[in-house]
Amino acid sequence: MSSLLWLIPTGLLAVLLGLMLRGRAYRAWPWFFSYVAFGISADVARFASRNYPRPHYFIYWLTDAGYAVLGALAMYEILRKVLRGLAGIWWTHLIFPAVVAIGVGLSLWRAQLVPPQVHGRLLPCIVVGEIAVRFVQIQVFVGLVGFIALFGFRWRQYPLGIAAGFGLYSTVALLITTRLSDIGTRFTFLWGIISLVAYSVTVLIWIGFFSVPQKEQPPLDPKVAKHYIALLERYLNVLRRTR
Amino acid sequence: MYLSIATWLIVASSALAFIYILRRAYARARDPKPDPNDAVHYLYPVDWALLESLLDPATDFALRWSLDPRALRAERRRRMRLYRELVRRMAHNSSVLADFDDALFADCHLPRGPDSKLRQAIIKVRFYCAGVRLKLGVWLLLPDAFGLVLTPDLASLRKAVEVDGPKAYDELRVAAVEAFARLRPNELEALTRGL
Repeated sequence: MSSLLWLIPTGLLAVLLGLMLRGRAYRAWPWFFSYVAFGISADVARFASRNYPRPHYFIYWLTDAGYAVLGALAMYEILRKVLRGLAGIWWTHLIFPAVVAIGVGLSLWRAQLVPPQVHGRLLPCIVVGEIAVRFVQIQVFVGLVGFIALFGFRWRQYPLGIAAGFGLYSTVALLITTRLSDIGTRFTFLWGIISLVAYSVTVLIWIGFFSVPQKEQPPLDPKVAKHYIALLERYLNVLRRTR
Repeated sequence: MYLSIATWLIVASSALAFIYILRRAYARARDPKPDPNDAVHYLYPVDWALLESLLDPATDFALRWSLDPRALRAERRRRMRLYRELVRRMAHNSSVLADFDDALFADCHLPRGPDSKLRQAIIKVRFYCAGVRLKLGVWLLLPDAFGLVLTPDLASLRKAVEVDGPKAYDELRVAAVEAFARLRPNELEALTRGL
């Protein structure tokens, strides 16, 4: 029964994947779609290897690294979409590198003060990278909410949905992962339970957002657009002359 | 210790962001949606000729030649206040159009992507307005200290935060016309009057 509990997020992810396929969201959100698809296969691999400690150990940590990389790419995708209209402003291209630099800096700072209590050469790097991605995800989420508050951005949007999910999970996971980093693998069981609940809620948030299809505005017929723009120009000219 | 403070600040800001989203979702659920039919009447007209004259470097140059320093400072501050009002209207119109855009597409059961032309134009205008209002706020806060502090000329405000304001607002108007042409063609005239 307890093993099946671990499959709850996988089932929810499968529902999300179905919603994304139905809404063809993979076209607009390829990295997030990859993240969801990877999440399902990673969970299945972890579940299948649960009775084989050594392969499970490697699969667990390798998939964790995969989650971190794809999570960061999904964040990049969000920022790229949201800031598309400001592409002409040179410093908007520096936002993501700056966010990543802050995340990596904080994670390395933490690793220096409290070295991760995991063994091997690769695992500390994965833990540091994971904490860095958590910082990145929270920063993007907070930044996006600030963006919505300042610029009147509509709240029920895919970018906010994706960022809110990552934000929630990262906030919980950041606290827990830093505890794991401090205490070591003795904390793994509790980490697993809290992580399971937080991740399930996260996927539910994503399902909530992706259950409403968002379609891009269909392109306007150029002739019609030209006509209305000319009409607007004529009107503005008359307005200018009357003033 | 500093790291703990930084970590907790980030976590707390995330929690605050969640509270904000929940509060906003609750407010949206409770308050009725804006009626798309009324939205155009909330637009404040922006006097384009006045805007161009305020941002015209030649006008400022002429003022500099024709007025004594004290009168020039007073005139520049008057023009700043005028421009602040125009920028306030631009920001207001962009938020009205954002609500309108939402309401129209909620009607059509087609929630918008973040990169729709109108939405991106709105973001640009609001970005510009935020930058200009901040600058003007600071400039107008500076005391008129007998010419010790130079009063900046408005022409430099054509571009703020790397956004050309009048051009961005023009793009917003065109994007709004396109959106309205598709969804509310009979309200085009009211829209152009309001913008």
